[in-house]
Amino acid sequence: MVVRKRSFIKKVLFWFLIAVVVIFVAYPFVYMVSVSFRYDSDAFDPGLIPDNPTITQYAQLLGLQESIRQQMSQEEQQLMKLLESLPEDQRELVFKNIQAQRKRESFPFLRWFGNSLILAGASALTSVLIGIFGAYSFSRIWFPGRNLIQRGVLLVYLVGGVILSVPIYDIFVRLGLTNSSGASLFSLYIIYVIQTLPVSLYMLGNYFRTIPESIEEAALIDGSTRMGTIMKIIIPLSMPAIITVFIYAFMIGWNEYLFASIFIRPFPGAYTLSVGLREVFFSEHAVWAKMMAASVLTAVPVIVLFMSVEKYLTAGLTAGGVKE
Amino acid sequence: MTSIKELSPLKKKEALFGWKLISPSVILIGLFILYPVFYNIYLSFFDVSLTPGVSNKFVGLENYQRLLTDPIFWESFGITLLFVLITVVGSILVGLIVALLMNKEFPGRGIVRALILFPYVAPVISTVFAWQYVLMPLNGPLTMTLSKIGLMNITTDLINDPNNAFLVVSFYSIWKNFPFIYLMILSRLQSIPLDYYEAADIDGANGWQKFRHITLPELYYVIGSLVLLRGIWNFYKFEEVYLLSKEARTLPIYLYEKAFIGLPELGVAAAISTVLFIVMIFLISLYVKKVLKW
Repeated sequence: MVVRKRSFIKKVLFWFLIAVVVIFVAYPFVYMVSVSFRYDSDAFDPGLIPDNPTITQYAQLLGLQESIRQQMSQEEQQLMKLLESLPEDQRELVFKNIQAQRKRESFPFLRWFGNSLILAGASALTSVLIGIFGAYSFSRIWFPGRNLIQRGVLLVYLVGGVILSVPIYDIFVRLGLTNSSGASLFSLYIIYVIQTLPVSLYMLGNYFRTIPESIEEAALIDGSTRMGTIMKIIIPLSMPAIITVFIYAFMIGWNEYLFASIFIRPFPGAYTLSVGLREVFFSEHAVWAKMMAASVLTAVPVIVLFMSVEKYLTAGLTAGGVKE
Repeated sequence: MTSIKELSPLKKKEALFGWKLISPSVILIGLFILYPVFYNIYLSFFDVSLTPGVSNKFVGLENYQRLLTDPIFWESFGITLLFVLITVVGSILVGLIVALLMNKEFPGRGIVRALILFPYVAPVISTVFAWQYVLMPLNGPLTMTLSKIGLMNITTDLINDPNNAFLVVSFYSIWKNFPFIYLMILSRLQSIPLDYYEAADIDGANGWQKFRHITLPELYYVIGSLVLLRGIWNFYKFEEVYLLSKEARTLPIYLYEKAFIGLPELGVAAAISTVLFIVMIFLISLYVKKVLKW
């Protein structure tokens, strides 16, 4: 009897702890999703289920619906009527001003989303491609200096981010790679490749070592070249690891704010999600519902990517820790 | 070590091929990681100017002198150490407890496991907005709950109050990073042979004794490396701190504001980088000696 009672208490305690963990983890996400289905004016209504649920925030962000800000206000329309009585050149000037004003106030979410997608995607792809060959080299082929390189990879894997921001900014300014939005985006591409390359090398190297060498040796004896075995044996066998590493590298680029804020601040057209959303957050008030909808849309791609490879995640991570 | 000349032609060809494959990585890392590290030390001795035509002025140790006599620097340094301490201890404790819980079979475990990864994989910018929303003074839901149970005043802006912003940021960092630690510990837990526990059962050990004498020693190595890895990474953590609250004033934020906000003082910022770098080298050599045992 005593034993059963104790195990009952244990069971209750266990489920209580599980509930605490679930609440701890899910708490901000639940509010994020709940608020994203409200109007901006209802953002702080109590409770989780919105009284007037709406998908207008998503529709506006995805460009399916014009936001109030984009619709011309009454005053603007009256102003336009007034304009018609002005001489040609003056009319042009005032009109341009109004347009510029409206452009500044709009929230080009899709454009930022696209910028982030291209930047994070291209840099992750480049880094994984360079990483595959590099990692294969030091995990499989003996050459003088191999030990040094293996250890060096581990060390640069630990350095990064803010420590390098000053010299890298200085170097890119002197190279003239910060003058236009195109040049700045290119600089960011290079920087993201650099930031993710040590991760790719390290994780892929660890994974390649787990593939038995005998598989390759058989192919080599049959006359296949090293390059041939990489393409036909190593890459297909490592696909889960390669995809996991790609997603990690993608996440690093998708999250990056430090360098993005330094390089593209002067070029609104080139904003990435983290820079753009932060700018909107600080320049406008009471747009909580819209910010939450934008947060959900920013989080969905990476969460979906990660969940699709969840079963490889542990293996990838424990292959030696993962950098952020 | 064998030199390249003593190798057979075939081996030589292999070695050359190996070098060819690794060279793009070596060149990129050399140009954009190793060179900047040294260039940064060089810059820290100059009054750096990015205006074309105006060259850098050598100032010797002046940047360091200004830095080391700046009370804000020492305050940031202290905050950074506290931040690292709190987040390392906190995230390892939470990660360990959650890993022990998830190591048991229970209905719905798959869903809970997937859910636990959310904070880690969701982008910093999204989760930061969500925490800012729940912690809004007056009507943020978490603010209201905490003030109802008397833990805080409803009008306090926890996130933007310079006195405790770094505590909120530490809490956020624990929330964001514990899943990583949980995953690493869990995979180690699952590789502990079950016979150990069976043998302990026969000897009549209780749950705590089993944890203390079997589980903990098995986890010793993985926890040790996690402490150092998290310590190193959190020492120069920027995004998670800055995006949640600029008021947290850790060293990376201090550096960022010196270098890129307002009147840029790149020379001083380079000196801060160098200091960060020296502390990092110290932490890394600890990692290498104690964990990797090179």
